[in-house]
Amino acid sequence: MSAVLRALRASWGILAILLFWQIWVGLSGVNSIVLPGPAAILRSLADAPGLYLSSTAQTLALAALGLVLGLLLGAGLAVLTWFSSLLAGLLTPLGIIFASVPVVALIPVLARIFGYDMRTVLAIVVIISFFPSFVFTGAGLRALPPGSADLFRVLGASTWRRLTLLALPAAVPDMSVALRLAAANSILAAMVAEFLMGTSGLGYLFAAARSDFDMEKALAASAIATVISVTSFLLASRVENWAARNWR
Amino acid sequence: MDAQPAIAVEGVTKRFRLEGGREFTALDDVSLSLAEGEFVTLLGPSGCGKSTILRLVAALEEPSAGRVAVEGRPPAELSRQHRLGVAFQDHALLPWLDVASNIALPFKVAGMRVDAERVAGLIRLVGLSGFEKARPRQLSGGMRQRVAIARALVLKPDVLLLDEPFGALDAVTRRGMNIELQRIWTEQRTTTLLVTHDVGEALFLSDRIVVLSGRPGRVVRVVDVPFERPRHPSIMRSDLFHGMSDDLTEALHPPAELP
Ligand SMILES: Nc1ncnc2c1ncn2[C@@H]1O[C@H](COP(=O)(O)OP(=O)(O)O)[C@@H](O)[C@H]1O
Ligand SMILES: [Mg+2]
Repeated sequence: MSAVLRALRASWGILAILLFWQIWVGLSGVNSIVLPGPAAILRSLADAPGLYLSSTAQTLALAALGLVLGLLLGAGLAVLTWFSSLLAGLLTPLGIIFASVPVVALIPVLARIFGYDMRTVLAIVVIISFFPSFVFTGAGLRALPPGSADLFRVLGASTWRRLTLLALPAAVPDMSVALRLAAANSILAAMVAEFLMGTSGLGYLFAAARSDFDMEKALAASAIATVISVTSFLLASRVENWAARNWR
Repeated sequence: MDAQPAIAVEGVTKRFRLEGGREFTALDDVSLSLAEGEFVTLLGPSGCGKSTILRLVAALEEPSAGRVAVEGRPPAELSRQHRLGVAFQDHALLPWLDVASNIALPFKVAGMRVDAERVAGLIRLVGLSGFEKARPRQLSGGMRQRVAIARALVLKPDVLLLDEPFGALDAVTRRGMNIELQRIWTEQRTTTLLVTHDVGEALFLSDRIVVLSGRPGRVVRVVDVPFERPRHPSIMRSDLFHGMSDDLTEALHPPAELP
């Protein structure tokens, strides 16, 4: 009971908007091609769950895989720059260039390279997730607790042990920030890529529904994407809070 | 007997380059020498370069002039062989490790198997039983310093450097820790260089006290401490102890500086 109350208290704002939306659509009589109400969107979801499920599964899988690969790649390159200031001078500007190019502009180029299919979607998500991981891990590896660098010298630590026992653990809070930033973006990036290339997945479902003037379907797809984005953001925030609590 | 000193600081001058290119002389022609198994204390006012001497011996700083040697070799060799124990003034615990893991860290850094019994024994020794799983931020300043001391001791180092290890402790705990440290040291006779500005602590623990003056740091006096070992805490109430304590306090604050 109290759990229900708590959930209501946390989400009454959203529920109010949905209610207002439903009432407004009913009263004003706008065409459903312009704007369907939440009830109609729910109905569309319930009518063809398989369609939404398979598209969602595909987008989610691509976003998750791309997220993991991008984070690993970013962290891996950050570790390389930690080893060598020469590499840092080479890789840091490259990383910044990559981050400054808008994804939308990259999609046609990458599609030429990887093909108009899932591989390009994956590549986009990897690139989107790479940058925060590279920057935040790089900063975290150098944000050491006071005196710890001296301590490791005195203990006669090898470079490898300095990395694994000091720099990497010290980078965990920053890496969790990168995870939070990248998690929500990875869904968005996957959908934008699917939307623009028009092949498959949630983004494609949205694009196809829109061109068919099937707004229920289009909005159902965006609703799913929103729920996933918010959920992944919340989960990643939890990881970040945990790291902040236990790491300082 | 081996004539080669365990630690030799010979005519060391240390200058720091400050912002704006000016130089600051922290140590001026400082010499001191520790025989193997000797306990020597650096006593001096704050800012006189005590920590700097320790950092030179730990190979964390290079002398601007003069020479530092440990067992006749460059001091960095000792740390490379995992034979140096240091408790820093700011304890330098890793915040993501609990007390037991912080104390076990030197094993891991040296690539050795963690001797859990040794870690547990040291936790008991520094009076932190029950806090094995606590994180540094949950401990008081004094408890953190005790963790740092345990960590410095865990590998049974051949040279021990302690930088005001009891600075954050209240007088009673400090006395208790002094007695414990004396006991540990009597068992292992590790060559130890201690930094303090507590005269009683210096007298109770050391074989020799090197008194430094500030700006720039210079050795003003070297005092041999005559008390037999093992030392019972009751020596702290003896007339000789009080007399030496007064002498040293005066050496720390020359009368000319007093109003
Ligand atoms: N890295 C440094 N750069 C500039 N000045 C320093 C540095 N380290 C120490 N000093 C200066 O050298 C003097 C001695 O410092 P320190 O050895 O820490 O003194 P103590 O431990 O006796 O209090 C102080 O005046 C301090 O400001
Ligand atoms: Mg100091």
